[in-house]
Amino acid sequence: MYDVVLAGCRWLENTPWGVAVRGSSWMYPLALWVHFVGLSVWLATSLAVDLRLMGVGSRQLNAVELSTGLFAWNWIGFVIAFVGGFLLLSAEATTYAANTGFRLKLIVLIPAALIWHVMVQKKTQAWTETARTSAIGRWAGLIEFVLWISVVSASVGFLLTNAVTRP
Amino acid sequence: MSVVHYSAVFFCVGTLILLDVRILGIAYRNQTLSSVAEQLRPWFWIGVGSAALSGFLLFAVEAGDYAAATPFRIKMLVTVLAAASALAIDWRVQTWDRASTMPVTARLIALISIVLWLGTILVSVEIPALTGLG
Repeated sequence: MYDVVLAGCRWLENTPWGVAVRGSSWMYPLALWVHFVGLSVWLATSLAVDLRLMGVGSRQLNAVELSTGLFAWNWIGFVIAFVGGFLLLSAEATTYAANTGFRLKLIVLIPAALIWHVMVQKKTQAWTETARTSAIGRWAGLIEFVLWISVVSASVGFLLTNAVTRP
Repeated sequence: MSVVHYSAVFFCVGTLILLDVRILGIAYRNQTLSSVAEQLRPWFWIGVGSAALSGFLLFAVEAGDYAAATPFRIKMLVTVLAAASALAIDWRVQTWDRASTMPVTARLIALISIVLWLGTILVSVEIPALTGLG
């Protein structure tokens, strides 16, 4: 199984974009920038709904109003973050695949957080129908919040142990 | 500290971009500008506060090297300008909301604000690449 993953990683590293990002001093930071811009939009839109479900912050808009208003921007942010992340991965896929922080992030945390996120997005309506967000909604919000912060933590741990970004 | 800094930056930049796109009229059209601004304001400023605090602690570790690095100075300049744009928006939002159409100044400031905040992130990711710090 790992052989297949490694072969895929080597293929990614040899794609034109993989070679380009790895070989240039400014393209790696640029790809990182794209990734971060997408993340800003993605995380802020997701965490805003989570915090609102938890009842943290202002109460001008309820969780449904926030969630529906943010829906398009939420997924626009995700696509941008994904494109940036894919470019970063392509540059040095084999190094990434060997890093524990990266494995944890990509195989465990991101799938879990994404599945949870989609579920929260679907359920927000039902949780908000009562005047106060139901207890299950609050907990779901808290869990998603913690999941995404752990994704960031794994990523930072990985960044700090990665040779390219730590020359 | 890095985790706090990254998370807080993403969160505050994201919430401000949402407000900016509302001013530009490409999101949240069915909510008034004031209610969107009211909803996002505390989150945004708490994000800015935690980003500034964690950023300062990260800076303190290698303060001399950072202060001497040109990219870092540019980053501070762009960040201060970006924060100023946020203050300007915060200050004018009520007035803009009362106007029947969004004033051109409002749209312009929103656009400048997006560019400045994205610029802040761009300079930040270039710092390790250009100076080896970070």
